[in-house]
Amino acid sequence: MSEADSGAVVDDDRDEDQGMSKAKRLEREGDVAADYLEGLLDIADLDGDIDMDVESDRAVVSVLGDDLDVLVGENGEVLEALQELTRLAVVRETGERSRLMLDVGAYRARRRAEVSDLAKRVIEAVRTSGESESLGAMSPFERKVVHDAVAEAGLQSSSEGEEPRRYVVVMPPV
Amino acid sequence: MLSDALEHLVAGVVDHPDDVSVRHKQLRRGRLLEVRVHPDDLGKVIGRGGRTASSFRTVIGALADGSVRIDFVDVDGR
Repeated sequence: MSEADSGAVVDDDRDEDQGMSKAKRLEREGDVAADYLEGLLDIADLDGDIDMDVESDRAVVSVLGDDLDVLVGENGEVLEALQELTRLAVVRETGERSRLMLDVGAYRARRRAEVSDLAKRVIEAVRTSGESESLGAMSPFERKVVHDAVAEAGLQSSSEGEEPRRYVVVMPPV
Repeated sequence: MLSDALEHLVAGVVDHPDDVSVRHKQLRRGRLLEVRVHPDDLGKVIGRGGRTASSFRTVIGALADGSVRIDFVDVDGR
């Protein structure tokens, strides 16, 4: 399967890789998640196709369909809850902690684009003013998008406050 | 549908899926779904700080039209 990167030097062996390769484990996570979610879609009579992928060392499972807003909810709260349960279902089957990411109706993809745009504007503002700026409350996923963009731009950031009001502060480079 | 959905979601995360059952009760003040699980699984379905129970409630609440109460009890519970 992952012959393509067999030339790379120990790039995906951060954890103890006993028995199963990381790629195999992530694939198995995706399979368990897909079964769990498909069962729910069937019972709830919702139309959705399930797509599996691996992105920066984590399994990504996407439920694709036009009429899935009910599984996203306001500010993605239903999506977060469903991701939490899906991870537990994976842990039950594999016995290992899961960082699986769930997307529904491309909600995360859309939010990622929106949050990246916002991050770009804030990074520019902080560069220009030399002053820190606080963003609004965000989910862990959205904060990660901001932290990644900030790090790439060579600035600093941290998360402050308590869930669900946790937010990112973008700071000028030290 | 709601009971089946909840039973599926709960059974997928516990160690004793065969012991999971969901009873639907119509109360004067709305619906109640009573989830019974193996005693060893009760902590698991409630989760740290009630976090897992709250995830079940959020997902089922989204699928329901109107409010639904969800109680978790172990199979020995009366």
